[in-house]
Amino acid sequence: MTDQASPAPVRTQDRNGVSRDHPLRKLRAKAASVTWVLASLGMFVGIWELAWWRGWANPLLLPPPHIFLSNMPEQFRFFDPNGQRAGALSSGGSVWSVLGVVGWSSFRVLLGLSLGFVASVSVGVAIRYFDVFGKLVLPLVTMLAPISPVAWLPVAIFIFGIGNPPAIFLVFVAIFFIMVLATLSQIDEVPAHYIQLARVMGASKRQIYWGVILPAILPGLFVTLRMNLFAAWMVVLIAEAVGVGSGLGQVTMMARNTFNASLVFFTMTLIGLAGFAFDQALRLIQKRILWWIGPSNVGGL
Amino acid sequence: MTLGLSISNVSKVWNPDGPEPMPAVQNLTLDVALGEFVVLLGPSGCGKSSLLYIVAGLEDATGGSVTFDGLPITKPSPERSLIFQEASLFPWLSVRDNVGFGLTIKGMAPEKRTKRIDALLRQVGLGGVGDRRPHELSGGMRQRAALARALAMDPKVLLMDEPFAALDIQTRARMQDHLLDIWQSSGASVLLVTHSIEEALALADRIIVFTARPGQIKDEIKIDMPRPRDRYAPEMIELAKRCEALLDEEVTKAFKQQELS
Ligand SMILES: Nc1ncnc2c1ncn2[C@@H]1O[C@H](COP(=O)(O)OP(=O)(O)O)[C@@H](O)[C@H]1O
Ligand SMILES: [Mg+2]
Repeated sequence: MTDQASPAPVRTQDRNGVSRDHPLRKLRAKAASVTWVLASLGMFVGIWELAWWRGWANPLLLPPPHIFLSNMPEQFRFFDPNGQRAGALSSGGSVWSVLGVVGWSSFRVLLGLSLGFVASVSVGVAIRYFDVFGKLVLPLVTMLAPISPVAWLPVAIFIFGIGNPPAIFLVFVAIFFIMVLATLSQIDEVPAHYIQLARVMGASKRQIYWGVILPAILPGLFVTLRMNLFAAWMVVLIAEAVGVGSGLGQVTMMARNTFNASLVFFTMTLIGLAGFAFDQALRLIQKRILWWIGPSNVGGL
Repeated sequence: MTLGLSISNVSKVWNPDGPEPMPAVQNLTLDVALGEFVVLLGPSGCGKSSLLYIVAGLEDATGGSVTFDGLPITKPSPERSLIFQEASLFPWLSVRDNVGFGLTIKGMAPEKRTKRIDALLRQVGLGGVGDRRPHELSGGMRQRAALARALAMDPKVLLMDEPFAALDIQTRARMQDHLLDIWQSSGASVLLVTHSIEEALALADRIIVFTARPGQIKDEIKIDMPRPRDRYAPEMIELAKRCEALLDEEVTKAFKQQELS
């Protein structure tokens, strides 16, 4: 690229002369990636349906999609967003109740993730900022990090009883320790030049943390958060299965207990869709707010 | 008291208490007068950057002292602005906010700051691109922005660590001219590190040739030619040959060092 005093066009064009930012090109790229997602899904469904058609898979245990997706109202009966009584069929029954159940699980994941993100980044930064605090807290974090969130489940129930708080707490725990350690490694990887320049320009330690280190680490941490999104979904389902009272985890558990294979797979489909939607949403946030490193392409699309 | 920068008998050992202390600079004495353009030339790894960090106040010398206008340098100061080879603009800020970063730190009022940034951007020839983000600029434009950011601090010394090394040759030559203009109008001293003889000859009032690590002054070459200089003038060719001979010896030594370790 030549150096010019006047603003130079930096965007390049593709082979057909369509600029990279051109809406048509963007649309084309989007369409291509959607096609691949559908192809990926289609292949999986196809193999499953084939297995059913050839009689390899017992439709009672492994009902293929066309079975568990048919007769939706039958499935909807099992979804009770109020979840007062496990397995209750009373107030369930409509699309809205299904959305309600998905909504509750999503809410728990979202709140746990948000609290976990803010808390872990704060603690991570504090560990580096306050020397004594860091020396006191870091060994603890390192020791607690490898403990599976599932092991925290009894603790969550002892502390919070049942209901929303233990599920949210579990999501929080699932990401907190990992994210504290990720924060530390991100801080240590901030290019030394950034900090040296800020110091030369007269920035105080506080100004360096706020104005340089924090913006430098946020995009990378957000990627870590996204990678832990699925772990968060897993623990929320476990918490719900055990005793929160409502949510997708509870429906799965009920389906298991009643040997309702269709319901199991229907719920799994919902979980997959919700997880996918979450990932897309986080990706969008990353692109809009934390644009200064490109979104990593974990999972395509 | 000497005005300007005075480096006397400075040594720097990295990891002095570690298993493998690394002497980077040894007993180096150098004065840079007000408004002087001094170029440090030497093989890579010979301690040039280390010296620059010490002058910036980012690192302590393990021996000797550095003073500026007679006062010892103990910490970084906007008076002594720094420019690196690359990757030095903050990617999360627009070009404007990068240039104005130090002004914000200083607590300059927004209106005044805006005016100052506009003037600086115009000075370095980036008038139209203030609202762009660093990754949208070419390498040369990024270095102009870095220069503007340094100039915003009204520095008395510009410390430049191979500022144009990552640029292509054409861009490089234009940036050198540009730097000379800015240097002449600002009256600041410049201490610039390079390993390019050509660059040293185009810019310097005085070239300090370093020995291989630990860095010491091998020789000093004064250039009195007016700028812009014709690199094919007989005197310049003579100087270039002299620099090359000096540098060659040290590069050979540096290579031997690397092979040994
Ligand atoms: N921050 C540092 N910590 C430890 N060793 C360093 C550091 N910076 C430089 N060195 C060492 O000091 C020597 C001189 O390096 P440097 O000053 O960067 O040389 P130059 O800029 O001339 O290439 C090298 O051997 C390098 O490995
Ligand atoms: Mg160097």
